[in-house]
Amino acid sequence: MLFGSKDKKKSVLTPLADVGTMGMHLVVSTFIGLGMGWYLDKWLGTKPWLLLVFLVLGIVAGFRNMFQEVRRLNRQDAGEDGHDRTSDKG
Amino acid sequence: MAGGLPHPQFIVPAILESVGVHVPVHVAYTWVVMLLLFTIGILVRKNLTLVPGKLQNVFELIIGGLENFCVANVGEKGREIFHVIVILFLFILPCNWFGLIPGLDAPTANVNTNAALALFLFLYYNWIGIKKWGFGYIKHFMGPVPAMAPLMIILEFISHLARPLSLTLRLFGNIKGEEIVLILMFMLAPIVGSLPMYFLFMLAKFIQAFIFFMLGMIYLKGSLDHAH
Repeated sequence: MLFGSKDKKKSVLTPLADVGTMGMHLVVSTFIGLGMGWYLDKWLGTKPWLLLVFLVLGIVAGFRNMFQEVRRLNRQDAGEDGHDRTSDKG
Repeated sequence: MAGGLPHPQFIVPAILESVGVHVPVHVAYTWVVMLLLFTIGILVRKNLTLVPGKLQNVFELIIGGLENFCVANVGEKGREIFHVIVILFLFILPCNWFGLIPGLDAPTANVNTNAALALFLFLYYNWIGIKKWGFGYIKHFMGPVPAMAPLMIILEFISHLARPLSLTLRLFGNIKGEEIVLILMFMLAPIVGSLPMYFLFMLAKFIQAFIFFMLGMIYLKGSLDHAH
């Protein structure tokens, strides 16, 4: 089946979609951190500092996201040969 | 087609303009998609039978397949939230495909449409989380180690805010990019250049709609499950 059915959990589209989302999320997290730092600086008047701190936090958040995504994919792979994928919760 | 490039002729906005309704192009085509969905929905609903006819069969295939996929990933509680994300899929798919029809434009090639969809999804999954867990929903943001919680809250906050933004930009970038490539290929070699692209982009646009559906499902799973 195109979407993968209940008994056979393999699908053509899922891995494509999984991979397609990772890069974007990494970049966007960085920019969200940057934006938060920028506006907090403007608001509190602490010119460069919060920007730097939140930029680093954004980068960390992005990488953490990717790490979690990889862990989720690994779990899915493990779930496919044996037990139910939904039964283990991280 | 056209991806917001200035030249081509758009049918529906031109008709609306002549009646005296001034709306942007993407809003006009969003209305067309809505009209299409309502019409098909009413048609399918009116002719519901136990032994499905042609149209009903198609919809049972799509919706049944997606429901199974959703339940396989989220679990039985996926049925509560399934109807919301499947309508997102069913809405985005014709929106994307509209870009391939000459004289029409894809509403999703405009950031505003996508931002509205992504913001709705963002608010919805947070609302579901708060409804299910109450104040304990904050545990989803704290990570496993209590000592790290203040840092984790900021990190999770950033990555949750990144979700609607990346949903918006991904859909917008893909659809708009495809429209622009299509019109450029049409300028270079009208038939030979653009016809093969149609098949590629039909698939690509389908995948984008599916990605939106799947991400919505993953986010909702995150807010429905226990915190780590």
